[in-house]
Amino acid sequence: MSANLSNLRHTHGFDLVKPLSVAALVLMMLPLILLPLASIFIFGMSAGLDKFWDSLTAPDAIFALKLSIVTSFWATVFNIVFGLFAAYVLARYQFWGRNAIIVLISIPTAIPTAVAGFALLLLWGPYGLLGQYLSDEYRIMFTPYAIILANIFVTFPLAFGVIMPVLETMDRSLEEASATIGASRWQTFWHVTLPALRGAIVGGALLTFARSVGEFGSTILVSGNLSGRTQTAPLYIFAKFNEGQVEAANAIAVVLAVFSFIIFSILFFARDWLETE
Amino acid sequence: MKGASNREAAVQVRNVSKAFGSTPVLRDINFAVEEGEIVVLLGASGSGKTTILRIISGLETQDEGSVAFDGRDVSQLPARLRSTGVIFQSYALFPKMSVEKNIGYGLRLRGRKKAEIDARVDELVRLVHLDEHRKKRPSQLSGGQQQRVAIARALAYEPEVLLFDEPFGALDAQIRTRLRREIRSLLKEIKVPSIFITHDQEEALELGDRIAVLNAGRIEQIGTPYEVYMYPQTEFVATFLGAANILVGTFESGSFRAGKIAIELGETELRFREGQSIKLVFRPEDVFLRKPDNRKQNYQNLSDAVIEEVSFVGAFERLQIRLETDERQQLIVTRPKTETSMNPLKEGDRVSTGVVRFRILPNFPLGSETAAKIV
Repeated sequence: MSANLSNLRHTHGFDLVKPLSVAALVLMMLPLILLPLASIFIFGMSAGLDKFWDSLTAPDAIFALKLSIVTSFWATVFNIVFGLFAAYVLARYQFWGRNAIIVLISIPTAIPTAVAGFALLLLWGPYGLLGQYLSDEYRIMFTPYAIILANIFVTFPLAFGVIMPVLETMDRSLEEASATIGASRWQTFWHVTLPALRGAIVGGALLTFARSVGEFGSTILVSGNLSGRTQTAPLYIFAKFNEGQVEAANAIAVVLAVFSFIIFSILFFARDWLETE
Repeated sequence: MKGASNREAAVQVRNVSKAFGSTPVLRDINFAVEEGEIVVLLGASGSGKTTILRIISGLETQDEGSVAFDGRDVSQLPARLRSTGVIFQSYALFPKMSVEKNIGYGLRLRGRKKAEIDARVDELVRLVHLDEHRKKRPSQLSGGQQQRVAIARALAYEPEVLLFDEPFGALDAQIRTRLRREIRSLLKEIKVPSIFITHDQEEALELGDRIAVLNAGRIEQIGTPYEVYMYPQTEFVATFLGAANILVGTFESGSFRAGKIAIELGETELRFREGQSIKLVFRPEDVFLRKPDNRKQNYQNLSDAVIEEVSFVGAFERLQIRLETDERQQLIVTRPKTETSMNPLKEGDRVSTGVVRFRILPNFPLGSETAAKIV
């Protein structure tokens, strides 16, 4: 039986600590999180809805949003497939160097994103380690492919990190039962393992996607930040801000903020549903 | 082994040995399960019983020996091609599939037609009395219902043998007793050969047509519940399956002797050397207690004794007594209620003791149980 924390009391009668501590919590969050977010909306709308709508529907703005979504989508697809594969191999087999691989997969979390972008340039750039041997049509730096590559690098451990613990704690007898009933390894994976990972896969995908859409540090280095060609939404915000077009920057900022709010709401409220159903 | 027939046994395990690393877990396991028979592998945890089950199902590979179904060697086949029905302790029902989907899984894997699958699932949900629960998820069912789904799922593809891995371990005592009767009658109805593993002796006695008692990776004895309980071949079997008193003595001119105690042995026990160290093994319920003045000679006399402790344990009375011999050995005695009301005893009472039924085993000072095995 677990202790019911809300009933665990140190005092009799009215507990003053409760409202005070909740208030302190909100007060601390106010300048750090809530006010910055609120100001995006306040400034975004301050010039009127028409102006907001115009900024949002400017061709470069729409292109930037689309580019962010498309590059993030492909990075997510890759990292889910890879994360699933890596988690399966690492959860199922014990081998020499297993821990080293887990550390390697997790490294991108600790590397500054600008360093990640720089590293990609040093490898694939025109004078890079491998890039210098590529002919012009295969040069991927400063194209949307470079953005996908940077997104993959930066979000590499996210899906893996969500899927791996679920796979490790999964009851092995489910897969064994499937085998004794007559399933091949692939049939067991498809009918038994994958459905059990559904929640983790959706969660990992949302996390990867949200993180990719907002990626800035690595993207600005590898994309070339060319308006209408390789400029993603966060780069667009940065560029417009530098040009002094605050409304334009603000409109996209609102969209990105709302977008991430939706994704995390799904993650938070749908977690139980994803796990059980 | 049951009567010599020309037919091959449904399951034949021959000379199976297995080690995990350098630790041997199974040594030279041999047994057979006949068509429609229920065999229980009884042993403590670590005795290797689960490993036997996993080797039969193909989830584990034996180092030596073979497994055959109906005379067909399946030793080299992977689990999915062996067609065994394993009922796991956790039941291992697929949580995202309904009861029906779980039961039909084996047939879907085999590419059967939908009509055929539906008909078979219909038949099975009725057999295990889950008709009104067929659309539910496993998490919505009770432990007993989940177990019946697991059995139906295994029966769907007509397995060669059903393997039950401690199937009642997760259930509470009352449900456990009812379920094992239900399952036994179900298995007798469908006549699929079955192997149960358990550490519960009561469960083994009630479920099994035959019981194989395992100890440290070996089968100590295999036989009907009656044989194994009444004629244990080793001290381990005697003490693991029920309780047993053991007195150490010597074989002297056709008798067991320990100090003043002399027990005359029947003809079947006369195979020891003169002076050989032997053990007298007898069950607590096979001890007779009489007030010393009321002695009847319809049992073999042990010695006088003093009652040290009397406790009531449900259906019977349990006494701890100490013999008035030089060694002052302690014995455990149980008496049914009929006996306790006719002849009440309390702590400190002196009684004369006798033994009605006993086994004689050789006593090896450092001998292993297997060395002590007498057949």
